[in-house]
Amino acid sequence: MTRLHRIRVLMCTDSLAVGGAERVAVDLANTLDRDRHDVTFCATRAGGPLGALLSADVEALVLGRAATWDLPKLVRFAGWVREREIDIIHTHGRGTMRFVTLARALGRIRSRHVFHDHYNWLHVDRRAGPALARPLQAVDAYLGVDSRLCAWARDTAGVDPGRIHLVRSGVDLTRFASVRPTDLRREIGAADDAVLLVMVGNLRPQKDHPTLFRALHLLTPEERDRIRVAVIGSTSVDPDYHAGCVAMIDRLEVGDVVHLLGSRDDAPALIAGADAGLATSKNETGPLVVLEYMAGGLPFLATDTGEIAHAVRDLGVGWVTPPRDAGALAAALRELLALSPEARRRMGRRARAEVAAHFDQRDVTRRVEGHYRAVLGLGGDVEGDSQPRALAL
Amino acid sequence: MVLCTWNGARWLPSLLASLRDQQRPPDELIVQDDCSDDATVDLVDAFAPGAGFPVRLERNRVRLGSTQNFGVALARARGEVVALADQDDLWYPAKLARVAEEFAADPTVTMVFSDADLIAEDDRRLGQRLWSTRMVGRGLNSNSVVTVRDFARRPLTTGCTMAVRRRAIEAALPLPRQLDHPEAPLRHDRWLSLVAASVGTVRAVPDPLLGFRVHATQETGVLVDGERGRAFVRAARHLAGGRSTSEEHEVRAVQLEVAADRADALGDFESARAVREVVAHHRHRAAVSRGQTSLVAVAAEARHGRYGTDHFALAAVAADVVRATRRG
Repeated sequence: MTRLHRIRVLMCTDSLAVGGAERVAVDLANTLDRDRHDVTFCATRAGGPLGALLSADVEALVLGRAATWDLPKLVRFAGWVREREIDIIHTHGRGTMRFVTLARALGRIRSRHVFHDHYNWLHVDRRAGPALARPLQAVDAYLGVDSRLCAWARDTAGVDPGRIHLVRSGVDLTRFASVRPTDLRREIGAADDAVLLVMVGNLRPQKDHPTLFRALHLLTPEERDRIRVAVIGSTSVDPDYHAGCVAMIDRLEVGDVVHLLGSRDDAPALIAGADAGLATSKNETGPLVVLEYMAGGLPFLATDTGEIAHAVRDLGVGWVTPPRDAGALAAALRELLALSPEARRRMGRRARAEVAAHFDQRDVTRRVEGHYRAVLGLGGDVEGDSQPRALAL
Repeated sequence: MVLCTWNGARWLPSLLASLRDQQRPPDELIVQDDCSDDATVDLVDAFAPGAGFPVRLERNRVRLGSTQNFGVALARARGEVVALADQDDLWYPAKLARVAEEFAADPTVTMVFSDADLIAEDDRRLGQRLWSTRMVGRGLNSNSVVTVRDFARRPLTTGCTMAVRRRAIEAALPLPRQLDHPEAPLRHDRWLSLVAASVGTVRAVPDPLLGFRVHATQETGVLVDGERGRAFVRAARHLAGGRSTSEEHEVRAVQLEVAADRADALGDFESARAVREVVAHHRHRAAVSRGQTSLVAVAAEARHGRYGTDHFALAAVAADVVRATRRG
């Protein structure tokens, strides 16, 4: 079969707010091969700051649906899709996946459906009732960013194993090329010889800042004197959590070490201005931010919670500790402190090389393009990431 | 592994043999004897040399009771994952291997517990499962992850089905003295479950990994056959008959408040919040029991889902409606 036109892809998310799934969708939209793909984007609920990062050639629609069964919006969406003769709808987010499945079930659209699952709550909710399982079983390809998700899709949601593929997320390296570093050291008043760590992530329970505070508390006063941590992320997402963190910083007397800088839009520059990156999440499917630290040339300290952490744990460019384990994190901090500045920088350079070799967004995108071709019956060369540790779950 | 014993000579040999037959043997067995005056200690001593793994027996000088005895035993255990054993059960050969697999597959998992077959005094399987006789099977089978709110609402597991990761044990110890209240004890296994769900993920494995022995002298009861109906009648009489359960609810509120405080101290603010909602519900129910709450308040509590959504919740709402109506 010969394809006469480029594959028309619609990337679909719930919104364009700052988040891992949305970031992946935007990166994919920007890096799909334009010789072979026409790319459009739809945020089915709301827009957001990531909209500004979409390439100029990507037509975007913010639909503003209120629910899965928002029929007027569904009719508008279907019309929009038909008008553009979309071949592949690539959804991110379960709400949008259900919305698109419904549109297909009602016969409003005939496009193929690829679902990219980034679900972050498998640690508290592994249910797959009919309202979720049936739409999942109807997708043409299920791309899970974490092997635990793939196992869940197969064993609990009943998705055909032949349609399930592990697709680890990547990072758009161009965002980290030629970045002018923010002078974080001066901004927080850190001494020249202090080791400056950056932790990027909104202040919400999943990111588990308290384990970091407890780890810092376990260090000796001399060790603490040599560390400064800049926490970058919105403090208004969960005000109770933020208040709890502030109280804990005070109670554990680590206020001299930890600097809550709030939300910032210059993450690559902030990362470039630090000595190491921190990700202490208690549960993640990524975390993508570890790749961003590596792309920014930083060694990292991360918890062993998601597919990316698992994939980079043995590269020797950072420390991976069990989640919620303040003692192990404190030990990793001590090892970081023991490194000379040059050894740290060497580790960071190796991290950047590793991320370029294994997690370049362009390579991830090529794999996704292979899935598109397979779904369309164009002889797709489906390359999966190696199938994974947790399929035995 | 930790095993707490007290006058368990009758079934201990079966348990010990089943531990020796594990496909993945334990790295150590901690035995904490709570002043047995039967052959329990001799049986453990005789078992140790041929066990194939170190057996570390210690005897308490004074009787501590089951919960505090487990507290002592857990403090002695050194493993990354600690499985709890009761002296009267029978472990199936794959139990430890399966549990270890679950922990290895997901580093966020802090506790794993399984279903069990009920077995008779002569090891015969009774054809029933532990979860279904405790009427928790439907919930656990539909979502294999159990949250701290679920554990705060009611006990969902029993110690011998559980294995706990070290960081959860460290967070759970020392066991608070409030657990041992004579009117409403909160056992070590529920406390461990609460803490483990606070500091990580708790997985429920629906396969029966052991035989749970049903006998007259066990501490953890199950409702088998006709006993279930009789228990319902007893519970209905108890609840609707006006006998005060206010103290029990007050005690439970205090115990759960301790759990919430501990979660707060560890930075588990979300868990603390969830547990405090259940604390408030116990205080509401205590007030209902004292005749201090109106039918409207009961209805509001039910409408907000604070009684829960299962059949236990239905029974509790019914009882409180009776009490509140009687007050009116």
